[in-house]
Amino acid sequence: MELQLGLPLPTHNFIENFDLNNDGFDPKDDMVGLKPWNCEDGYLGNKRSFEVAFGKNIKGGSQELPLLSWSGQPNDEDDWKGEKKISCSINMNDEEENQVVGWPPIKSWRKKMLHHQHQGVHVVNRNYRMVTGNQENGAGSNTRYVKVKMEGVAITRKIDLRHYNSYLTLTNSLISKFAKCENLEKDAAHFTLTYQNRDGDWLIAGDVPWQTFTESVQRLEIVRNAG
Amino acid sequence: MLRKASSFPEEMLEHVLSFITSDKDRNAVSLVCKSWYEIERWCRKRIFVGNCYAVRPEMVIRRFPELRSVELKGKPHFADFDLVPDGWGGCVYPWIAALATAYPLLEEIKLKRMVVSDESLEVIAKSFKNFKVLVLSSCEGFSTDGLAAVAANCRNLRGLDLRESEVDDPSGQWLSRFPDSFTSLASLNISCLGAEVSFSALERLVGRCPDLKTLRLNHAVPLDKLANLLRGAPQLVELGTGAYSAELQPDVFSNLAGAFSGCKELRSLSGFWNVFPGYLPAVYPVCSGLTSLNLRDANIQGADLIKLVSQCRSLQRLWVLDYIEDIGLEELAACCKDLTELRVFPSDPYGAEPNVSLTERGLVSVSEGCPKLQSVLYFCRQMTNAALVTIAKNSPRMTCFRLCIIEPRAPDYQTLQPLDLGFGAIVENCKDLRRLSLSGLLTDRVFEYIGTYAKKLEMLSVAFAGDSDLGLHHVLSGCEKLCKLEIRDCPFGDNALLANAAKLETMRSLWMSSCSVSFRACKLLGQKMPRLNVEVIDERGPPDLRPENCPVEKLYIYRTIAGPRFDMPGFVWTMNGDSV
Repeated sequence: MELQLGLPLPTHNFIENFDLNNDGFDPKDDMVGLKPWNCEDGYLGNKRSFEVAFGKNIKGGSQELPLLSWSGQPNDEDDWKGEKKISCSINMNDEEENQVVGWPPIKSWRKKMLHHQHQGVHVVNRNYRMVTGNQENGAGSNTRYVKVKMEGVAITRKIDLRHYNSYLTLTNSLISKFAKCENLEKDAAHFTLTYQNRDGDWLIAGDVPWQTFTESVQRLEIVRNAG
Repeated sequence: MLRKASSFPEEMLEHVLSFITSDKDRNAVSLVCKSWYEIERWCRKRIFVGNCYAVRPEMVIRRFPELRSVELKGKPHFADFDLVPDGWGGCVYPWIAALATAYPLLEEIKLKRMVVSDESLEVIAKSFKNFKVLVLSSCEGFSTDGLAAVAANCRNLRGLDLRESEVDDPSGQWLSRFPDSFTSLASLNISCLGAEVSFSALERLVGRCPDLKTLRLNHAVPLDKLANLLRGAPQLVELGTGAYSAELQPDVFSNLAGAFSGCKELRSLSGFWNVFPGYLPAVYPVCSGLTSLNLRDANIQGADLIKLVSQCRSLQRLWVLDYIEDIGLEELAACCKDLTELRVFPSDPYGAEPNVSLTERGLVSVSEGCPKLQSVLYFCRQMTNAALVTIAKNSPRMTCFRLCIIEPRAPDYQTLQPLDLGFGAIVENCKDLRRLSLSGLLTDRVFEYIGTYAKKLEMLSVAFAGDSDLGLHHVLSGCEKLCKLEIRDCPFGDNALLANAAKLETMRSLWMSSCSVSFRACKLLGQKMPRLNVEVIDERGPPDLRPENCPVEKLYIYRTIAGPRFDMPGFVWTMNGDSV
């Protein structure tokens, strides 16, 4: 199904270039062991590359495939093993909730939907109440995600407006959220919260009642005050 | 052969070729001789490029002057799981700009995992006079403004599919940009949109497109609107509902049930966000005709879920959350004898404790009850070798087997042994296996099985597995058809990679993150293999500031005839002969 790229078949003599000795790699002294191996057709063609790569002369041996036979843990001898843990440590736990990034393999798109679902449970309950108690009207949208940008900060964040109940809580929470990462001053007086309304106009937050604002806001931006 | 081929009349051959639709066969035809190559390239109408950096658009245009359909893929598959940093690349604009000048008659563009700007969408909207199908799958970077341009300008549009894309700032008004005279739409998928769409515009659009067969709504379309939409489009074959909750009112329910009963052609259902179970019986009338049911977004549980699934006796494909549990899968196995594809997703993937009773037994039941089973994606929390062996024996037709045991390196929970034997049985018994994802505790032995038996395997995903380079060597040297290999958190390093360098040229791509490949090996590979792009992705800073033998964070290797790319962000380094 793929566009034919017209690549030539790989040539095995190429592999000689990968002789680890020639390229200054430490030859692995203990890789000489021969291991009995029942091969299927086609396997042998590839195996040669492995032999050549390690500069070993293996005779004919169509019934046997030479493989690296390390004693113990094969990668232990690598000289960077120690450093890896110190200077090259691979950061795997930097996601929230101490999760390994990308595991389990759930699409990032899907994660958002999971979030919606958790919200959804509340909605069902609320609607149920509506039928019985008739306290609210209309099933509005369950979440109010809006994007927030801070002037001069590359990362845009998304927040759920339903977690806030006033301009004050929103502003304070946003500024401390951004300030924490950017080492900024946390005094709200240094910033102005602006928002884009449903018509696409940018306005300064606080000009309309909170409820009206939450219904209209499309995105937020925190602007630094001059001086 | 050569003489015969060239004496064959050109027009005749062209006519014969028009019946050959598979890209693979077209590629084979073009390799027969020069004249076949020439004839084939002039009549090729569609191409698929599995990696947008494998070839430059100008090269495609030069070879295929008459294309009508272009399908491109961008980022590596692991981008789905946030392993590819934002800004990595995969922008489609250079392609769109080139296509726009070369192919005024282009009709279809299908993109996957690409960054699509509004500008690109505007160029698409304005450049192709007879544009028909736009599929943006897992794409990002665009907004409803770009969609508005497509709606306003593509007068013959038949398909607009935004599946799993991330669309910015959704404003529902873009749908009203379809002109009133526009009636050609056959497929519309807006299930990924976050915000409300203009319902009146949607209703008018659906009502005036008599060919509309596929309609997938987003969660913001309320249930009380669904009945009217369905009455406007009784010809629908695929439906994705919006939110499926509302006050339970008898008149709303009977209206909806009546509307569903009118859709005699329905074969596929999805959506069902925020299900209120009281409304589920409204779909029962269409269940017996359904071949596809996607409840991945539906938080239905327990008896409601089982009752719904067991009504769908013609089901071939089921996507469902693990709320179905073992008991529901037993029911599925008993009812749905035509099932070919099953995907079970986790409802609470990050919870420490299982929230449902879904184990290896559910999958075993399905493999026993559904003899046509071919494709499985299964998230669970425990597995045994015995279960895998049973599944392998029950389902020899399997072509796709993706098992995710949520806890990394989990052994057979009964014997505490690695799952090597179980996966070994899968590759040994399922001779047509094309795609495999491994999980659980695995040693190098499983890779020995894979290299030995998985002769048709095209895509392999590996995480937290193996002991040494030997594992990777088995796969690279044994799997002849391997096209895509993606590996994370495995102790595979330089030796296996370098020794099988030539193999990489036969594959589309190799991804390795958090493995043991050194920067030195990456440089070497890049220098010696000019047809491979060797990209080191490291957000910690330039890899040459660390010791050369330090392992690189992420490595993406792909074959290319385009040479190194020029749109790399600061955290990507290409290892080619010039730069190192």
